[in-house]
Amino acid sequence: MATQVETKPTAPPAPGPHKERRKKRAWILPTYTGVIIAYLFIPILVMIMFGFNEPAGRYNFQWEGFTTKWYNPDRLLEFEDLNEAVKNSLLIGVISTFVSTVFGSLIALALTRHRFRGRAGLNLGLFLPMASPEVVLGVALLALFVSLNVNTGFVTIVISHVMFCISYVVVTVKARTSGFDRSLEDAAKDLGADPWTTFWTVTFPLIFPGILAASLLAFALSVDDYVITSFNAGGTVTIPLWVYGASRIGVPPQVNVMGTLLFGIGVIYVLVSIFRGRRQGAVPSPPVKAG
Amino acid sequence: MARRSRRWSPVPYLLTLPGALWLTVFFIVPMFTMFSVSFQEGNFEEGFVFTGYWQNYTNVLTRYDTQLFRSLAYGLIVTLVTLCLSYPMAYWIARRGGKNKNLFLLLILLPFFTPFIIRTLAWKQLLGDNSIILGTLKGWNLLPESYQVLATSTAVLSGLIYNFLPFMALPLYVALERMDPSLLDAATDLYSNRRQAFLRVTLPLSLPGVFAGSLLTFIPAVGDFINADLLGGVNTVMIGNVIQREFVTNLDYPEGAALSFLLMGMIVIGVFLYARVLGTEELTG
Amino acid sequence: MSDRYDLSAIAGDRRDISRRELLRRAGIGAGAVSMSAFLAACGVGGSNETGDQNQDDGLTTTKENGELNFANWPLYIDRAKGRRPTLDDFTKASGIQVNYKENIQDNETFFGTIQEPLANDQAIEWDIVVLTDWMIARMIRLGYLEELDHSLLPNFEAHAGQIYKDPVYDPSNAHSVPWQSGITGIGYDPKLTGGEITSFNQLFDPSLEGKVGMFKEMRDTFTLTLLSLDIDPQEASIADIEAATEKLIEQREQGIVRQYYGNEYADALLRGDLAATMAWSGDVFQLQFDNPDLRFVVPDEGGVLWVDNMAIPQNAANPIDAHTFMDFVYDPEIAAQITGWVNYICPVPEAQDLLLKQGEKDSYYKTVAESPLVFPTPEMEANLHGYKDLTADEEEQWQDLFQSVIQG
Repeated sequence: MATQVETKPTAPPAPGPHKERRKKRAWILPTYTGVIIAYLFIPILVMIMFGFNEPAGRYNFQWEGFTTKWYNPDRLLEFEDLNEAVKNSLLIGVISTFVSTVFGSLIALALTRHRFRGRAGLNLGLFLPMASPEVVLGVALLALFVSLNVNTGFVTIVISHVMFCISYVVVTVKARTSGFDRSLEDAAKDLGADPWTTFWTVTFPLIFPGILAASLLAFALSVDDYVITSFNAGGTVTIPLWVYGASRIGVPPQVNVMGTLLFGIGVIYVLVSIFRGRRQGAVPSPPVKAG
Repeated sequence: MARRSRRWSPVPYLLTLPGALWLTVFFIVPMFTMFSVSFQEGNFEEGFVFTGYWQNYTNVLTRYDTQLFRSLAYGLIVTLVTLCLSYPMAYWIARRGGKNKNLFLLLILLPFFTPFIIRTLAWKQLLGDNSIILGTLKGWNLLPESYQVLATSTAVLSGLIYNFLPFMALPLYVALERMDPSLLDAATDLYSNRRQAFLRVTLPLSLPGVFAGSLLTFIPAVGDFINADLLGGVNTVMIGNVIQREFVTNLDYPEGAALSFLLMGMIVIGVFLYARVLGTEELTG
Repeated sequence: MSDRYDLSAIAGDRRDISRRELLRRAGIGAGAVSMSAFLAACGVGGSNETGDQNQDDGLTTTKENGELNFANWPLYIDRAKGRRPTLDDFTKASGIQVNYKENIQDNETFFGTIQEPLANDQAIEWDIVVLTDWMIARMIRLGYLEELDHSLLPNFEAHAGQIYKDPVYDPSNAHSVPWQSGITGIGYDPKLTGGEITSFNQLFDPSLEGKVGMFKEMRDTFTLTLLSLDIDPQEASIADIEAATEKLIEQREQGIVRQYYGNEYADALLRGDLAATMAWSGDVFQLQFDNPDLRFVVPDEGGVLWVDNMAIPQNAANPIDAHTFMDFVYDPEIAAQITGWVNYICPVPEAQDLLLKQGEKDSYYKTVAESPLVFPTPEMEANLHGYKDLTADEEEQWQDLFQSVIQG
């Protein structure tokens, strides 16, 4: 769609007459973005705070006093099932994110760049998993595994996660690839690049932001899934499963600390990638002209 | 786009093969079973048998129409609110985020890597009747003593909006980021009015993102049950809660399955209508 | 599976007729034989083999294998220094290695995951599972549990409390022995209620508008409501349940109920979002550490004693090792060790004295031993009732009525 609008004007934009007014209001959007992100972080702050709590009983609901003892590795790693759950969740998250991102991105490419028989059916088949209530997916998959005599466990969790992540990946990547401007690829081909080189040097960088966003979404979906996982987990425990079960007795502060550490790893990853991005300009993005 | 498509090529089939195969085996086949289950009769101890009992559908429709329409209404509200909330943010990140775009992207999603229960518990701590927020306001007599947020529709909607915001923001960002900034500048000059430029260039070009974001928000939000479960009250039960209970507690698989397919059918119809309105060819291909 | 439909077809047993056969009759099978075979094979939604196949065919072995696979709820066994002392002691005493997994999140979901293999007469990977009494009753009825050999359980005979022997849900403990138990009653904050709560009917008082919590656990809510209507839960008829439903709907429509809760009622009670609520004893015991004002009462009309039990699933690989463990935890020393940490109600009364002795050194154990929420008084015990064991039909009727209460 709308490919005619998408042609690139080459002339640098002339400074418009509205620059002045624009400057005055330039703080609005960044502040707004900051507020929304802060809003998303509110519960995280509470989680971090209660990782430093010293609860009187087994429930960690009420602030009773400051302590750092839960960060002591002996205390932190006290619950081996929780440790294993964290390990499982991360491993399952990474594997299913990788597989679903690859599968989903390929489908997104095919859907937006090729016309072929079965497109409509594929489109429908892709968004039905999103429309199915989780419990139905969980029960239906379990029935399949039982009928095939497959023992549920780590592998079946990964299978189910890949299954429900694919659709989300396709939709996200498609938001990037639809109305894709192919003139750059054609140019590369005209310059003698083979399809493989064209893909990696032109196509991939162009759709990378979509793939990145999709993989983050897939990871978040995977590490946070409870319902589908609970049906297909067998003896394997993930973070949501353990925490949900523990909530009957009282979720220990160690869960908050683990959450905080995972969050910290995320933050470090962000910082490192900005730093590297600054140095290498690794992720090509259209040049941005500040207001 | 159409240029190449005349000639038959194996490329699109090869691209879709792994994903499509996966979905066929692990989604379509099991869902076929479920579909047949929705026409069964019986109970979990003596077993269910297929009798073509289509009344499962009419039974659940008459019994749970309130929850069904409430869920659709919640889904619509959540989609609209998240769209309005996240568009300006996605726009700013995409247009002015500079080299830190990916940082913002990750920041939006980081909170969602922590267990849902922990996040919800935090909200309940903050929104309790005597919490820092409500308790203080009540102390200043700005709110009546009996005022509450938890256990109301407001709480469920807030929970849904909070949890689905990234699902809207990410595709919006992805679509907006694609736009050539010089195009926008040119448009600004052309229409001599920023609002005009936005309405005529930016917004139409971001429609794939709006569509994708709405799908990712509306569909799972309608079927959600956990927000209503943990934040809601006695009059906020959603269809997801009913389905969950039919399957897990009542073990009434036929009715649960019928309700699920009813829900899916309504969503499919709704989405196709929406695609028509937006004029996108995303779905119809 | 295959022998089933052949035999039943020959025998002409209508109820045992296979789904495959039915599908074929319904004309579904024609072009899709493999599909219908798959449908028949996967047995979604339970089994039709109530009788013949799952009949007790004895244990899989008669000796210890040195191995035990134990599925329990998270944090439901004592811990110290990152270990589980009871399991260590058990391995030391018996030489049996325990594979202990905290993978039960709730009765129903866990049942959902083991039902299919058990219905298909497959083994599941656990030798002991811990489930609540009504689920134990259901599994016994479905033939999913092994019968226990009580000659291997001398400690249980010697030390288990009287109310835990020969329970309604499992006569003469043929299939299960208690792990820990609890009471469903009322938890409240006197500051918010403005007075004592003694009767379940006080939860129906409009003056507590929006401050009352009820359970979305059907059995608890119905049983307490039936008791408040002066009906013996064991004898409850459908008419009685309809009366209870009416009472509960009225309570909801008057705006008295804030929400129908699962475990989450506990933090709402602590935060003061709830003034009075249905509650589980063990939770209130923990909450009292944070807010000593909170109280728990068994309503005058009666409360519920529920019991989480150890049981051996059908075809388990190590049933004798499972018996050894079941007996081991009825050693009063071990029972005291578990209860000292878990703080639920202990099925071994003698553990109280042992904990009191420990309390001389560490006052925490004194608190545990002296709490009626861990060792209920005889008066409390006298006023406790069990859930009614429901047939599948009753269960469906009760659930439908309850659904109209909580999903209005």
